[in-house]
Amino acid sequence: MLKKRAMTVLTAALALSVAAGCSGANSNSNSAGSADSAGGTSGAGKKEKVELSLWLTPQWKGVMDATEDGADYDSFFLYAADKFKKQYDKYDVKVNVQVVAGDQRDELLNVNLNGGTPPDMFFESVFAMGDYVHRGALAPLTDIVDDAARKDIAQGYWDNVTFGKDVYFYPFAHNPGTLAYNADIFRAAGLDSLVGGENEIKTWTLDEYNRILETLKTKLPKDKYPNAYPMALYALNNQGDTWNLAYLRMFGNKFFDDKNNLAVDDADGIKAAEWLKKVYDSGYSNPGAESVSSNDANAMFQNQQLGISFTNAVLYNNAKADMKAGKSPSFDMRLANIPSASGKPLAFTYVVGTALFNTGDKARMEASKDFIKFFSTDPELVKASKNSIPVRSSVASEFASQFPLFTAYDANAANMFSFTGNVAGYSELRQVLYPELQAMYTGEKTPAQAIKDYQSKGNAVLQKARESSVIKP
Amino acid sequence: MIRYNRNVKEGLTGYLFIAPQFLLFLIFVVYPIVEGLRLSLYKVQYRTETFVGFDNYAALFGDPVFFKAVWNTVIFVVAIVLLTVAFSFFVGSAVFDKNAKYVSFIRGSYYIPVMVSMVVMSMVWSFLLNPANGLISYMAREMEMSTVNLLGNKSTVLPVVIFVTFATNVGQAIILYIAAMIGVPKDLFEAAEVDGASRLHVIRHILLPLVKPTTIYITIINIIAVLKIFVVIQLLTGGGPNNASVTLMYYLYNNAFKYNQLGVASAVGVIMFLLTLLLSVPQLKAMFNDK
Repeated sequence: MLKKRAMTVLTAALALSVAAGCSGANSNSNSAGSADSAGGTSGAGKKEKVELSLWLTPQWKGVMDATEDGADYDSFFLYAADKFKKQYDKYDVKVNVQVVAGDQRDELLNVNLNGGTPPDMFFESVFAMGDYVHRGALAPLTDIVDDAARKDIAQGYWDNVTFGKDVYFYPFAHNPGTLAYNADIFRAAGLDSLVGGENEIKTWTLDEYNRILETLKTKLPKDKYPNAYPMALYALNNQGDTWNLAYLRMFGNKFFDDKNNLAVDDADGIKAAEWLKKVYDSGYSNPGAESVSSNDANAMFQNQQLGISFTNAVLYNNAKADMKAGKSPSFDMRLANIPSASGKPLAFTYVVGTALFNTGDKARMEASKDFIKFFSTDPELVKASKNSIPVRSSVASEFASQFPLFTAYDANAANMFSFTGNVAGYSELRQVLYPELQAMYTGEKTPAQAIKDYQSKGNAVLQKARESSVIKP
Repeated sequence: MIRYNRNVKEGLTGYLFIAPQFLLFLIFVVYPIVEGLRLSLYKVQYRTETFVGFDNYAALFGDPVFFKAVWNTVIFVVAIVLLTVAFSFFVGSAVFDKNAKYVSFIRGSYYIPVMVSMVVMSMVWSFLLNPANGLISYMAREMEMSTVNLLGNKSTVLPVVIFVTFATNVGQAIILYIAAMIGVPKDLFEAAEVDGASRLHVIRHILLPLVKPTTIYITIINIIAVLKIFVVIQLLTGGGPNNASVTLMYYLYNNAFKYNQLGVASAVGVIMFLLTLLLSVPQLKAMFNDK
């Protein structure tokens, strides 16, 4: 009897402890960051403790340079957080930095947003995060932008980070998207005359580009470059899709109409899709584009299996750093524009900056804003933007002699097109293009049909997103 | 009255014993199901939830990709479950009465892939099958064959996924079958031998009926597992080419985490739950009736 009673008590205790464990977990459910007022207030002589979280996708390695000891993608923000903590008098701040893979960004953010644990800040390309503004998940940063910043950063970049009337991303750098080519492969195929200068963003006409593809396919010595293909094509997922979007503009299509609806289904859009299909069918690209990702293509280019691939300023610098460190084969890598039928090349840029999540926690949001302003304006820290292209003219001019490509990128700004990454529903729109490209490459759909379906499905996505956007024009 | 009190007391002890597990069951199984049901009737946007009735279900039934996902899932379930049951029964019946060391070797060999994570398996297969720099396409090129892209071809992508999943999962079923077959009373086999029954007769008339509960169990757990097939799709095909290999679970994942359509994703979850229930109930009934 005693034994039975003891067991009953033990079981009840176990059940209670499980329940207690659950409630404990609930009370501490916000893992992204926390404001701990129990740590004391400034009135008591101690600063209130605030723990912040900053996420970023891989950008550049190191604080200022990838050659630093232990350089990694989070080095800059760890250094910035330490510097900020030492001089910040409002709170006792701890910043947790987390690097997330670009193709996992939306999954991670959506899980955390729906679970009520978004990060406090996110450092990323603006176009990839615009949807979070439309969903009401980001808070405006307009009040931390001062006149000095407005003067130093050109209006074009501010336009890029402004949704409705407010600034939602503090611009730090920008990443112009271009093509990269292997000049050694070009020379081996006898294309010396089409190789541009070392610090030039070469512009080819479309005829020249087609000739390059054909020559690389037929004349590249197989003994020196076995399994090498003229250019990269990929459509496994949405990664690197801005280059695919650029190819679809090659024959003059404007892509969006005045009301921000897709307008790609016209003669020029179809011609561009037919060009892509011809490149694929003629063996001018890597095989199996429908199952190849941009990461695969980038790795192939670094292993000299592709003559031409996609790149942006950060990817280009990282590839150069890998070659220098002996992590990948060394070759003469140069830049070129995406050609077009009109002769005016196609170029675009991603503005990279920091967004503030609307966590509802006053202390964390205040400290986050101060931290964003700190590392986006600190004269020493903003110099790290040289790893891509600085948005600040003061930094760009300071490093112009050291990085001759800055001048080339600057000159190339005239060829920039806006790919309208700020429209509501852009993230979901990105999920619509690659299945259509897959259908086109596998022959399931004609280029015209793929373009038609992309437009109708894409416009349905945009329409739905516009209706629920919190940003009103 | 005293007897009644005693019964209640004894019952209470039992209930208290199962209480911790039951509590966990309520929190981690029942609550998510109820919450999923509720969310399937709402449109969720960050901090706001709007009741939309059956709009999410209507959106699902208006999306051809959803029907593609249902169809692919059915194909996967039928093909993988049939292959698993048939192959594991074949291996089990071929080795169960052999030397114990030999049986252990066979069991271990087939079980190794089960122990390896599906993520690792998918990555290995992805390395082999990548059309641009994979081993299989490289060998095909070296042999002057045309480009091999099994994952980029609508007619080969499903068989490849079926084979990869089957190869990874079949070890579990083989272990279960061998254990069940070893447990069949020896005198039945001896009697059959005396009567001059062939090996095929023994398998058909003794083994097959006597391991029926195991067959039902393997069928149920595999149906449930394959209905949730996801990792291999995510890592190997991404649902492509052009949604040719998209499954219900992958469709749910895309809606929940890529498109942020939590309501639509919950509606898919509810449909999957009903589908699993529908498929499992008759088989569970058969299993309990046998007992």
